[in-house]
Amino acid sequence: MNVKEKLQNVFRDVFDDESIVISEGMTAADIEDWDSLMHMNLILNIEQEFGIEFTTNEIMKANNVGEFIEMIEGKIA
Amino acid sequence: MKNNNSLLLLNEARKYAKQLKNVTTTSETKIAVLGTASIQHFVMVLRYLLHVEGIDADIYEGEYDGIAMEVLNSDSALYQFKPEYVIILPHYLEIRDFPQLMDSKEQIEEKKYNTVKFYEMVWSKLANANRSQIIQANIVIPPEHILGNLEGQYSFSKTQFLRKINETLVEKSPENVSIVDLDLISNYIGKYQWFDYSGYFLHKTGFNMTCIDAVVKPFVQQILAFKGKTRKCLVLDLDNTLWGGVVGDDGVEGIQLDPNNAIGEAYRYFQKYLLELKKRGVILAVCSKNDETTAKEPFEKNSNMILSFDDISCFIANWDDKATNLKRIAEQLNIGIDSLVFFDDNPAERDIIEKYLPEVFVINVPQDPALYVQQLDKESPFEWLQLTKEDTLRSVSYVQNRKRDELSKNFVDYDEYLKALQMKGNITLLTANKAERFTQLLNKSNQFNLRTQRYTIAEINNKMSDGNFRCLCIDLSDKYSSYGLISSVILEKKNKDCFIESWVMSCRVLKRNVEYLMFMKIIETAKEMGCTTVRGEYIPTKKNSMVSSLFESLGFAFVKEKDECKEYSFDVETNVEYSTFIEIEKGE
Repeated sequence: MNVKEKLQNVFRDVFDDESIVISEGMTAADIEDWDSLMHMNLILNIEQEFGIEFTTNEIMKANNVGEFIEMIEGKIA
Repeated sequence: MKNNNSLLLLNEARKYAKQLKNVTTTSETKIAVLGTASIQHFVMVLRYLLHVEGIDADIYEGEYDGIAMEVLNSDSALYQFKPEYVIILPHYLEIRDFPQLMDSKEQIEEKKYNTVKFYEMVWSKLANANRSQIIQANIVIPPEHILGNLEGQYSFSKTQFLRKINETLVEKSPENVSIVDLDLISNYIGKYQWFDYSGYFLHKTGFNMTCIDAVVKPFVQQILAFKGKTRKCLVLDLDNTLWGGVVGDDGVEGIQLDPNNAIGEAYRYFQKYLLELKKRGVILAVCSKNDETTAKEPFEKNSNMILSFDDISCFIANWDDKATNLKRIAEQLNIGIDSLVFFDDNPAERDIIEKYLPEVFVINVPQDPALYVQQLDKESPFEWLQLTKEDTLRSVSYVQNRKRDELSKNFVDYDEYLKALQMKGNITLLTANKAERFTQLLNKSNQFNLRTQRYTIAEINNKMSDGNFRCLCIDLSDKYSSYGLISSVILEKKNKDCFIESWVMSCRVLKRNVEYLMFMKIIETAKEMGCTTVRGEYIPTKKNSMVSSLFESLGFAFVKEKDECKEYSFDVETNVEYSTFIEIEKGE
């Protein structure tokens, strides 16, 4: 399973919605439940799933799903 | 995120919250949560954990940094919500005025009182508006020591200042405020783990999400305790739990308790901890798969044992399954199965109890006995609201019960047995010095409890000073021991009716005729209040069926049944005389 697929599973689990399909340009505006509380939950689950840690700067800078994928790939490389 | 437990908890809590969106429920428990830092996750997890405990609470989530705003504004939605409980979560960053270097003692005191006075005002405003019980965390001290090693030596340091504030919060907290010692818990977990600076700067969370289970749990326990759901008894296995090895195989001298051996020391350390638990009122029981004689031998013959046979209130050793035995223990001690905590080194035994008796709290016993104390302490299942003298005497009285049982075997006639006990009773109106125990009894009693109403100390204090109420209490003692306050009654005058608002009795004094004594006092008090009729109500619960026909047996007339609750009345002019074999010391 590649990073994008794994990440998609995390999204589906966190938002409790098996129909979610993520894309590089996707942002918080695209999912109704994606507020700041959910954002924190998402980050925690991503860190757990991939065994990584984001810095404050990284969390602030990631503007869309594509940037998340890039960061994750960089960390697990 | 390293701590899996907390992440799982957050995920479950989130799923539960989503589920709730589509359901409207009315719940009887209303809780407001106010905090300085972000409280959203706290509220989400609190709601979920309470639900797991069978409490569906309606939770009011205060504004960010909203303690002052919510409380000081009398129009705030907080007051309209009328919460039963108010949880307050302060944060060290809310304090603007820390002492300066070289501040004098007086300047430091003044700054300390500014913070404490703010909370005293918050408590008093909340007490005046509603009769809420306040549950407030103390301030978690951050891991910053700008003075280095000198941080602990000067009272103007941030750390020393915050320590003093926490001390003073406890000192100044009135009856309706409970302080949750989050700072202590943060020490155990580790300050570096507890604080998440990135999380604070990004999301304003007050603590690391990996600690959310440790943060919310004590609040859940406090609320359970206020609702009378506390754990009272620790049931222990014997082999490889109290000592190393198996007494049936290794013999009484072969079990491992040698203080010169690391394993023996570990088990002795555990026994010492258990003894301390017993001293604070936790009932110790034994449930072992062994022949009874073999199981008792180490207590009688092994000089390295710390616990003695008299420390154990209920000792069961046989070959029956442990689920059946735990039920026997609960029955013998007259407590609910949900009061039990189970400590057994054998994971198979633990699984069986988890499966067949889910109300029992099963400790996740580690493999290494050196870690027994730490694990039991960490899980901290015995969270009570206060310690009273009755608590410290509890175990002694259970042992004395055993002696009384032996005495009763000598009497064929039960009345003769009661006479031989030489019981003395003292019925009085409630006074301030007994209010804590009076309230504790109302909140803990489940079996001899006619209406299962729960009260805060503030409410009881109000009734004590209200001329329309009478709060009666009975103290009992017998030849073997003094029980202290064992029955609480609240009467309300409604014109010519005297309504029994609450009537509870401790299970330790059942079948002693105490209820007859109390009944005669109720009639006397009703007459004194100018009432002609005493009215009683029985509200059935899962636990109080023993009093379902109490009123009938006392000669009350059945009035009506409404929603399964039964109402009764009794004419005070009816002649009432019972011989109770209880000598009245002084009535009032």
